Amino acid sequence: MTIKNARNDNYDVINDNDQIIFLEARNSYYMKPADIVKATIIISVIGFISAFSLSFMKKITQEPIAKQEQEKKLAALALVLPGYTVQQEKTVTVDDTPFTYWIATKEENRIIKKAWAFLAEKKGFGGPVQSIVGVDESNTILGFTILSQNETPGLGARCVEVASNETFIDHFITKSVTSKEEVSWFQEQFIGLNAGKPIAIQKKGDWHKEMKDELLQHNAVTAITGATITTKAVTQSIEEGIQKLHKALTLQEVQ
Amino acid sequence: MDYFKEFFKGVWEKNPTFVLGIGMCPTLAVSTSVSNAIWMGIATTFVLIGSNILVSAIRNIVPSHVRIPIFITIIASFVIIVELTLKAYQPAVYKALGIFIPLIVVNCIILGRAEEFAAKNNIPASILDALGMGLGFTLNLTVLSIIREILGSNKLFGYTLIPGMKPALLMILAPGAFFTLGLLLWGMNVIKARTARFKRTE
Repeated sequence: MTIKNARNDNYDVINDNDQIIFLEARNSYYMKPADIVKATIIISVIGFISAFSLSFMKKITQEPIAKQEQEKKLAALALVLPGYTVQQEKTVTVDDTPFTYWIATKEENRIIKKAWAFLAEKKGFGGPVQSIVGVDESNTILGFTILSQNETPGLGARCVEVASNETFIDHFITKSVTSKEEVSWFQEQFIGLNAGKPIAIQKKGDWHKEMKDELLQHNAVTAITGATITTKAVTQSIEEGIQKLHKALTLQEVQ
Repeated sequence: MDYFKEFFKGVWEKNPTFVLGIGMCPTLAVSTSVSNAIWMGIATTFVLIGSNILVSAIRNIVPSHVRIPIFITIIASFVIIVELTLKAYQPAVYKALGIFIPLIVVNCIILGRAEEFAAKNNIPASILDALGMGLGFTLNLTVLSIIREILGSNKLFGYTLIPGMKPALLMILAPGAFFTLGLLLWGMNVIKARTARFKRTE
């Protein structure tokens, strides 16, 4: 017997064993056609039931969700354009991306003043940070509010934090409501800044009222401690947004 | 069957996060504030009860080779129900929990209980198991978040504790979660070892 043959013999033996193991495994593991049909029917029925119940659920909640979003938008517009009446909403394509803005007017001493609000969006640390910004004709920010964000709780998410003077002891133990002043500090510090110029970021720690004048002089905001990326995303979204707003307005004039 | 034992095992003896070591992701991520933790616990418990009831109800007709996709379909349906309900009626909570609501689908506690318990036991026992596990999970999250919120943001239930004091920011970040979890795990094991030794000497 040659070496080659011997090797072949060995292979044959191994192959036979493999074949037996494989057949045994197949007989015990593979389903019979009837089982396959049964499994398919059961999965389909359960999938159908869950799809049906979910579409029912969707139908129930659709109205409250839409209502809430509408309310949120109106409240945000009222907040960013104080004193103004919103005339119309427009969506145009600027730089190949859709851009939504609102035109608002106010009559003061028989002069009609115009103001605009626009949607600003930029990727923050944990996804897009979307906000509405209200500006007047001199690019001064009238109001600013964050619509949606997905930043780290305790850090970036503090951009929507409402700083309250009320302490735990006040609220739960003595129950005195002496100092219930609530300011959304991060959003408030944008009011009065010039959006036409770059908005600087200063790291001065937590915001307090005394800081406001100094920050206004530098056209700056103070960063959220430990969340400079979020702060940067917001200031950049405003800068980009105002440029888009001006482009959109010139487009409108051309038309 | 000892129903009390079925209920209570989720809180102590088979505590999901501290003993079984499942459901760690939401435990670490959502325990930054007490209100988040409690809402997450409620949402998870609801999904757990719903999936346990259904899985237990259909346990005899489901072929074993396709049980996992079926369980996941059931769990995902309940998660979407929770998501839509929160979105419609508790938008603030939905906003705060964000991505972790849809991620309940992949929370090991739910599939784990469906597979290990509900697929083998009757409906009342499965409900008790779900309630116990849900309570255990909620308690873990709450304890963890109380420690983290006090140390990490100087607050409790969103109200400042000591005005003017700077909190240890680290505790609200990921490392703080691991430190707290490790210390709680240690504490729990110490108590367990003590009681075991006490029983042996008796």
